[in-house]
Amino acid sequence: MNKSESPIISVKGVTKRFGSFTALQDISLDIRPGEIFALLGPSGCGKSTLLRIIAGLETATEGTVAIDGQDMTGIPANKRPVNMVFQSYAVFPHMSVADNVAYGLKLERRPAAEIREKVAEALAQVHLSDFAHRKPDQLSGGQRQRVALARALVKRPKVLLLDEPLSALDAKLRDAMRLELVKLQESVGVSFVIVTHDQSEALAMADRIAVLKDGVLRQLDSPAALYKRPVDRFVADFIGSINMFAVTGRRAEGGDAARLETAELGAIAVPAAHLPAAGKGALTLAVRPERVKVGAKAQKEAQGEGGLVSVAGRLGDVAFQGNSSIVEVLLEGGGSLSALVSEAEADHLMQAESGSPITAWWALDDMLILPENATAA
Amino acid sequence: MARERRAPAGPFDYSRKLSLRLVFIIGAIFLYAPIVVLVIFSFNDSRRGGNVIWKGFTTKYYEKAFNNDALVEAFINSLAIAFISTLIAVILGALTAVVLWRFRFPLKPVFEGMVSLPIVIPEICMGVSLAVFFSSFGLYVPRDMPFPLNLTNIIIAHITFSFPFAAMVIRTRLNSFNREMEEAAKDLGATEFQVFRDILLPHMKPGLVAGALLAFTLSLDDFVITFFTSGPNTVTFPIKVYSMVRFSVTPEINAASTILILITLLVTFLAMRFQSFEEPRQ
Repeated sequence: MNKSESPIISVKGVTKRFGSFTALQDISLDIRPGEIFALLGPSGCGKSTLLRIIAGLETATEGTVAIDGQDMTGIPANKRPVNMVFQSYAVFPHMSVADNVAYGLKLERRPAAEIREKVAEALAQVHLSDFAHRKPDQLSGGQRQRVALARALVKRPKVLLLDEPLSALDAKLRDAMRLELVKLQESVGVSFVIVTHDQSEALAMADRIAVLKDGVLRQLDSPAALYKRPVDRFVADFIGSINMFAVTGRRAEGGDAARLETAELGAIAVPAAHLPAAGKGALTLAVRPERVKVGAKAQKEAQGEGGLVSVAGRLGDVAFQGNSSIVEVLLEGGGSLSALVSEAEADHLMQAESGSPITAWWALDDMLILPENATAA
Repeated sequence: MARERRAPAGPFDYSRKLSLRLVFIIGAIFLYAPIVVLVIFSFNDSRRGGNVIWKGFTTKYYEKAFNNDALVEAFINSLAIAFISTLIAVILGALTAVVLWRFRFPLKPVFEGMVSLPIVIPEICMGVSLAVFFSSFGLYVPRDMPFPLNLTNIIIAHITFSFPFAAMVIRTRLNSFNREMEEAAKDLGATEFQVFRDILLPHMKPGLVAGALLAFTLSLDDFVITFFTSGPNTVTFPIKVYSMVRFSVTPEINAASTILILITLLVTFLAMRFQSFEEPRQ
């Protein structure tokens, strides 16, 4: 195996219990050198706990964490070759910016000249050279975060761990910082592990994303794969927006194909290849809003060789979003679905009266058939 | 030309309401007038300190106070007791505060309650109990012990009642400590001791200073507990002043008290300066 392909962090069978509460359930994953890896999930899913276990601030009840091939069991946080950027940044308020960055090197008892040089270099990297002698209370939130970044990176960690790095910043700064973090990662080359609850953040920054829910790893994939091929209902719902219809009945049809009943769409025949192989629980039909087309009647133009799903409804609200609009279609079978349409199409639709009949359709190939939970046995 | 009218007081313009100003002024007078009078009459050229008739300016009572060996000795005793008991009370208080903040252990609420008990127990009870304790355990230090060992009993008594105050102040300060800071230091390679020295202690510093200030002033002017634990050769300033007042109130006492006020103010001022230098606003 190629050296660069061996994982920099290898998490094997990690379980964490707090009393009777299981925060993490048998998590196994590998983090590759030089990638941005996101741990994504709603709050309380255990993603921060996993990060803290990797950092050594928490010990796993079961399982092991290896960093660069070395088992970290029993090695405390201060002896691990990883560094962390905390959610509150935890910049030391009684030290200047330069002293904050130098602190980790001073603990290593490096020579003063070397410390000075490395601190200057790290501060330049995060564009804080002019602030070296400021105290943290004279800095903005974004600047404090840079101090925390420089302080961690100056130690040349094998992996940088970031706990919700952007959650405390305002929206505009957040977008700028996203890009900057990606650039920073490219320039320093070490892997970043980012914990976030914001799916758009994970999609925009990460090379690979692990989606966690209630301490269980639901799916680990690239952002595009997560979006296009979510393994279950939770992942599909959590990543991006999606229209979902619960399947209420299922009848086998010729061969392995099946007929799926839904309250909103009626019965739909689907080929066997589309049915999920694993998982249990009720099935859900799902389609992304940008795959849904709307018009006076279904037009069979650009869909693939597969069939077409079309459903009649009434025009609901049209939410203007600048270059596109979200059209709400009130279905005759109850419920509604949303479709993402271009500006031109939206203009056309706006002329129709609200409540006028309309048809929504999409290619069968664009429709996902999802189990409730793909990981449950 | 129309006369300019001031706008009526807004909802939060408390300082512009006459009734509230009056309350403030009366309160200030009751609090500070006696002290101001005491200071002024320490310069009164009169035999009697209780005399409220101004008979001319003099500093001779300051001279007299400085030449009163018994008074000076009591004063030095008080300062020595205050310094030593403050030092020990703050160290004990800080340790107690860290234990209460950091760890969970069985009977913690009981322990917490016992620590703050000396704050609520009437001083007279503490005085009596300490006196009984010292005598029944034979802990009365021989009279001829060299200074400041002859003050041991009083120092122990003062530590007993002042360390809970220090512990509480420091404990409150610790509540505002961000535990992520401790984790960040560990993550950067710090050992437990380095975390304490480099991160926790600097954070505690304002609490330590405030606790010390409190302990110092409590010790300096304590009368009741000291009265029960002092011997004939270990007289402190408040006790000496009390015994002098029993004979007659002379401006000498005013002068000595003024010096005490000055020292307290100076210590407070220094502590506050020190704090504002060390601790940037957060």
